[in-house]
Amino acid sequence: MRDMTFSEIERLGAAVGEPDEAFQMDEDAFRLFYDRTARPVWAYLSRMTRDARLADDLLQETYYRFLRAGGTHESDAHRRNYLFRIATNLVYDHRRRQRPDRVEMTDHLETPSVDANVAERTARRLDLARAMGQLKPRERDMLWLAYANGSSHQEIADALGLKRASIKLLLFRARRRLANLLRAQGG
Amino acid sequence: MECLREQEIVDAIASGRWPHACDPSLAPHAAACAICRDVVIVASALRDDGVDACHEARVPSAGLVWWRATIRARAEASRVAERPLTVAQGIAGACAVGVACGLAGVAWQSVQRFQRIGEIVATLDTSKLPFTSTSASILQGALPFVIALGGLGACLLIAPIAVYLVLSDD
Repeated sequence: MRDMTFSEIERLGAAVGEPDEAFQMDEDAFRLFYDRTARPVWAYLSRMTRDARLADDLLQETYYRFLRAGGTHESDAHRRNYLFRIATNLVYDHRRRQRPDRVEMTDHLETPSVDANVAERTARRLDLARAMGQLKPRERDMLWLAYANGSSHQEIADALGLKRASIKLLLFRARRRLANLLRAQGG
Repeated sequence: MECLREQEIVDAIASGRWPHACDPSLAPHAAACAICRDVVIVASALRDDGVDACHEARVPSAGLVWWRATIRARAEASRVAERPLTVAQGIAGACAVGVACGLAGVAWQSVQRFQRIGEIVATLDTSKLPFTSTSASILQGALPFVIALGGLGACLLIAPIAVYLVLSDD
C-alpha cells in the first residue's frame, strides 16, 4: 500500500466534516464510547503485547475496525465485548506475525523508585509480568479479562471466541498456574 | 474447581473493599480455602496491575482517533472506487502490448519478404531484363525507409499509451 501524500490527506481531510456512512456510529456517540473504553482497551493491549508503542498502534486499529464493522449491538456491554474481541484478534495476529525467538520488550515497567511503596508496587508488577510471561497467551488473555477487566465468563468467551462452558475449567487451571508462579517468586 | 464464595471475593477485590471493608467472614474463608487463596493472589495482582495500566495509559483523544479513522476510511473508499479504473488500465496496457507485438511481427515478416524479393531480383540476369535492375535497386534503396516507417508507426502507437500509463497515478 503506497503512502498518502500531504495533498491527498488535505483533500480527504477537507471532507471529514461530512457525515460518514461507512461508520456504525456518529462522532458524538463514538466520543462517549471511546472515553469509556479507551483506557481499559489500551491496558489490555499493552499488557498482552507487552509493548506500549505497539499498543498505541493496535488501539487505533481496534477502533477503526470497530467503526467499520457493520451490525447493531444490543447494549453497551455487547459493544464493549465486541471491541475486546477485535483487540484480542489483533493481538493474536501480532503474535502470529512475531518471530518466536523475539524477546518482547517490557517498556511499561518503570525503574524502581526510591519510594518504598512505589518500589514494592513495581517489584510486584515485575513479578506479575514475569509470571504472566510463563503462561500461554490464551491463559494471559483470559486471566486479564477476568480479573483486571472484570469480565464475566460469557464476556470472556465472546472476546476470546471460546465456548462459555469451557471458560470455568480453563480459568481455574490458568489461575492455579499463575498463583503457583507468583507464590514461587514471592519466596 | 469452584468455591461458592469465589465471586464474593472477586467482587470485593475489584471494588477495592478487600480485605478490610468487605464481609468479615470472607478473609478467614479465603485463608482456609485453597481455591479462594489462589483467587486472592491472582485477582489482587491483576487488579493492581490493571489500575496501574489504566493510569499510565496515554491514549489519543477521541477526536484524533475519529479523524484518523475518517481519513483512512475515505482513502480506502477512494482506492476501492479507483480499482475498476486500474483494472481497465491494465487491460488497455495488455491490449496495447499485444497489438504492438502483432504489428512488430507483421512488420518483421514484411521486411523479410522485401529482403527475399530483393535477393531474387538481384540474382536475375540484368542484361536480359534491363528494367529489373532498376526495380531491384529501388527495392533495395527503399528497404531502410520501410523499416524506419514501421518503427515510427510502432513508436507513435506505443508512446501515448506509455505516457498515459506513467502519468495515470496523478
